[in-house]
Amino acid sequence: MSLKMKVPYTNFAPKNVDIKRQLMDAFEQVLDSGKYIQGPEVKAFEVEFAQYIKTKYGNGIANGTCSLRLILEALGLPKDSEVITAPNSFIASASSIVLAGLKPTFVDVAEDMNINVDLIESAINEKTKVIMPVHLTGRPAKMDKILSIAKKYNLLVLEDAAQAVGAKYKGQNVGSFGIAGSFSLHPLKNLHAYGDAGIVTTNSEELWAKLSLLKNHGLSDRINCETFSSNCRLDELQASFLRIQLRKLDEWNGSRISLANTYNEELFEYATVPIKNDDEHHVFQTYMIRVTRRDELQLFLKTHGIETIVHYPIPIHLQPAAKFLGHAEGTFPVTEKLSREILSLPLYPGLSIDDQQYVVNKIKEFYQ
Amino acid sequence: MKKSTMNYDWIVPYNYLPDQFKNREDIFSEWKKLTQSAEFTLGPKVEEFEKNFAYYVGAKHCISTNNGTDALILAIRALGIKKGDEVITVPNSFYATTGAIINCGATPVFIDVDSNYQMNPELIEGAITKYTRAILPVYWGGASPDMLRIIEIADKHKLAVIEDACMGIGGKHKGTAHGRFGKIGTFSMHPLKSLNVMGDGGMLVTDDDDLYKWLLNYRNHGMQDRDHITMWGVNMRIQPLQAIVAILELQKIDQIIIDRNLNAKYLDSALSNLAPNVTIPRRNSYDLETFSLYMILCENRNGLMEYLRQKKIDVKVHYPIPLHLQEAALNLGYEKNSFPIAESQANKILTLPVHQFLSQEQLQYMVNCIKDFYL
Repeated sequence: MSLKMKVPYTNFAPKNVDIKRQLMDAFEQVLDSGKYIQGPEVKAFEVEFAQYIKTKYGNGIANGTCSLRLILEALGLPKDSEVITAPNSFIASASSIVLAGLKPTFVDVAEDMNINVDLIESAINEKTKVIMPVHLTGRPAKMDKILSIAKKYNLLVLEDAAQAVGAKYKGQNVGSFGIAGSFSLHPLKNLHAYGDAGIVTTNSEELWAKLSLLKNHGLSDRINCETFSSNCRLDELQASFLRIQLRKLDEWNGSRISLANTYNEELFEYATVPIKNDDEHHVFQTYMIRVTRRDELQLFLKTHGIETIVHYPIPIHLQPAAKFLGHAEGTFPVTEKLSREILSLPLYPGLSIDDQQYVVNKIKEFYQ
Repeated sequence: MKKSTMNYDWIVPYNYLPDQFKNREDIFSEWKKLTQSAEFTLGPKVEEFEKNFAYYVGAKHCISTNNGTDALILAIRALGIKKGDEVITVPNSFYATTGAIINCGATPVFIDVDSNYQMNPELIEGAITKYTRAILPVYWGGASPDMLRIIEIADKHKLAVIEDACMGIGGKHKGTAHGRFGKIGTFSMHPLKSLNVMGDGGMLVTDDDDLYKWLLNYRNHGMQDRDHITMWGVNMRIQPLQAIVAILELQKIDQIIIDRNLNAKYLDSALSNLAPNVTIPRRNSYDLETFSLYMILCENRNGLMEYLRQKKIDVKVHYPIPLHLQEAALNLGYEKNSFPIAESQANKILTLPVHQFLSQEQLQYMVNCIKDFYL
């Protein structure tokens, strides 16, 4: 991110204005308490976040990658189990599967950039144990169809909701559909810590308890170690900041949606703008358009002081790390086509009308 | 010596963190700069800390991590240690030492400790098999095992040495910083370590350029740059906010070590005439201990512990159940009496507060209470 740009891709400053005092107060309170790990702030945030998503439990984790990996480990799946997911996500979606000792099975995405539910069944085999849809860009995946396939084949559904905090499908919060939802609260997310953070939502008490154990060295109390594990705890300071942010989330998401609507209205003749669907409450963690001459446009915008990002130019299945999976170019045509066309535009709560109009005008200028 | 003005439930508290961060203007002013720069993922503050710490311990490279456990996991993975490999370590550490080995798929092989709670180097060779890849000694409590002997044995058998110096920041053994004897040294900045942040934090140091490059990528999702990943990596980054605290605290570390040593010296001399009820470990003139933990061996330990806690002295036990007797270790196949010294210490060991915020009166009070108990 570059704040030297006229219009940076994102900017935290406008969001912080309202809550700065509260953040500083929380900071002082945590410092004075002397409890920096596994204390009351994390517990309170877990409860409040679960209430927000409408699940029974929340479990704060160090970051979104750890949360996906720990859930997969906690499910105790056989070693060679397969997890179905999308190849156009951030690499952590796939790497957490590999790190948990399992195999990612990719399914191509649809034009809305989320997993193509019509292709899932053909990817299922006897080793498949989990479907892991990614709610990419802040748009919910087609959860009713995914749940019915999972039911038919007796599979678990784990939602990678890293990009979609506050998103809903047919009125229900993402993160509350499957066995668990995994959220990243990294600074570029709609709800974010001031550093790395993550949280898991679940209705399963058993899974919640297992996660509590795994994220804290496998300790059932200070002196009893039930299973050797690692340290993936969310800390008190970040939890105290997150509690303050959570109270602003709906307002901030509302502001993202209204900015996205403006982009849609202004740009639909120049670019493929995100499809609207009444079933979906899309919270626009990224506002992604599809364009021709993408790289040229990105350069043109950059020379005019507008920062844009490509999420992502190289799909996961074509990364060097994925070589062992043996996917050649052309395996997932929609994902690969999207990777050449997509561009994420600046969008953040507090983006001024003037700045947004400037972005719009420059894109129009480029195509005229 | 600084005297506490904070309110605690204890007359002699173990947790001194509210005192430590009583003056926080410098942290807040750095934090404000950070929120303005919005560098919340790695960035200049993280790099500055790594540079400073590498300089402090005299290492070529430092990589900070989200916590000390992550540092251990990264170190083991960086050396390519995996399923089927064995790592020799001790049964009297925090769970994470063994947890990290198991996390990498390798098998921990325990050997017993000496009267100073440290790895006994003379037991290493008996534990070496054709599967052994590394020795992982722990600077338990902030004292040092005989590192030169351990390195000598490791070199003879071509084994790597990974140092768990999680409690050893600021300590020295025969003039060399803890964590600087082997291939990789790992450290924790968890609260109540000699150098600590306001949450979790850790780091590792090495002189090896190739290991350093691999570690940099692996720590951050295997990313060579934003769009290219060369391997399946992890997210084990330190929080920049914690890096800020670490930079500021590192400036105070030498004074912290001095204060703790003065307190330890006072306790050593005041408690030494309680033998045989109290046994103080040997203090070597060539060791600068960090006293992350001030541990003595006591007769009727549980009775003494209860008595001191009634007297509002927050004493602890690190730890009452050794690693090989934990439920988690069941499948490793160890039994009671496998490691008689570690087991006997687990029954007798007691950790007294020794931190830099204790007053002379608090130390005196603690000594008097211990004396009263044994009268």
